[in-house]
Amino acid sequence: MSAYILPVLFILLFAYCIYKRINTYDHFVKGAKGAIKLVVDIFPFIASIMIAVALLRVSGITTWLTEVLSPIFNALGIPPELTELVLLRPFTGSGSYALLEDVLTTYGADSYIARCACVIMGCSETIFYVATVYLSQTKVKKLFYAIPVALLCSLVGTILACLLCKVM
Amino acid sequence: MLIKKFKFFFFKKFFLNQKTKSFILKSSLNKNYSIISACSLKLPFMSFFCAFGIKISMNIFWLVMMLASMLVLLIINPSAMLSEMIGASTGALELCIELCAVYVVWLGFIELIDASGLSNKLAKFLRPAIKKIFKVDNEETQKLIALNISANMLGVGNAATPMGIRAMQALDDKSGKANFAIIMLIVINATSIQLLPTTVIGLRASAGSANPADIILPTVIVTITTTVMGILLVHGIERLRQKLKGRKKK
Repeated sequence: MSAYILPVLFILLFAYCIYKRINTYDHFVKGAKGAIKLVVDIFPFIASIMIAVALLRVSGITTWLTEVLSPIFNALGIPPELTELVLLRPFTGSGSYALLEDVLTTYGADSYIARCACVIMGCSETIFYVATVYLSQTKVKKLFYAIPVALLCSLVGTILACLLCKVM
Repeated sequence: MLIKKFKFFFFKKFFLNQKTKSFILKSSLNKNYSIISACSLKLPFMSFFCAFGIKISMNIFWLVMMLASMLVLLIINPSAMLSEMIGASTGALELCIELCAVYVVWLGFIELIDASGLSNKLAKFLRPAIKKIFKVDNEETQKLIALNISANMLGVGNAATPMGIRAMQALDDKSGKANFAIIMLIVINATSIQLLPTTVIGLRASAGSANPADIILPTVIVTITTTVMGILLVHGIERLRQKLKGRKKK
């Protein structure tokens, strides 16, 4: 069912463009032109955050943090198997998707842990990545409370996700 | 001893405002921290605990992450450092090439949405909510925010990114500080109001789930709860800050 939504929306968009008598090709090309410049602009930001995350992982700080935080997370109702996923989720999209695939194959796609992991992934975002990339083209340096609030909401969402998966 | 001194310098320079500075100086003089706990434990945690008192920026987070892991690596595996960094940036380059391909498609479609006037209609539809949540009056900015949020709702974060960047540029007041609307946009993007977690469903289906779409309902419930919570929190904190500012002026 969900596979149909985007294609149908695209076709409706084209139909609307024809109705409005817009040259779809011209406009598509015009929009696509911006892609390379955008990627060139955000590349250094993506690279620096990925370097930091890679170093964190290879230095063993993440595994150490996982061990330390597992009991705390467990008390909050988050299965200890998911601690690393929860920790890495704010930093790296591709890394956390790799972890999710791991969880899906190890515990089975319909197990409680895998369902929890899926809901957590669905309702959280790569906070640090979003903050750096979104602000990369602005002069904003001071974020005040944005990141702590975002992290707090994410944590509450994670706890709620684990609770809901037990019930539903 | 040298590292300890450096640590204090580091703290003073980057982390602390006047109030917390004296507190931390006092408390850490009492205890003897080992090098490893200092670099791996204290810095990241302090930055979280003091988050509300100190103006936090990406500069600090990055510095803490890098410094902590480089100091640990120096002890356990110095030769891996450079190769790991280059490996990571290679990964970033690959990701960017992939992103470039994705953006071509999405930016093309977004231009179509814009040219056909659909984006204006969408913005008109969402305007009352955006005005109330973001306190933004500029119509162009409202349109960008509307596009960013609707892309997020459809679960296509990659299409949301270019719109988010443009919205941030429009919101930026060049003062170097994040204003209310920028913080709100970050928080709303972070809680990711996702009504259709397309990627996750795809992954579950390929892992052989009997009913890959049964996570939609819990995801929607969680995502709406956290988004509402984020909006309320940002509004609440902003009100508190205004009050504090008012008091200082008096």
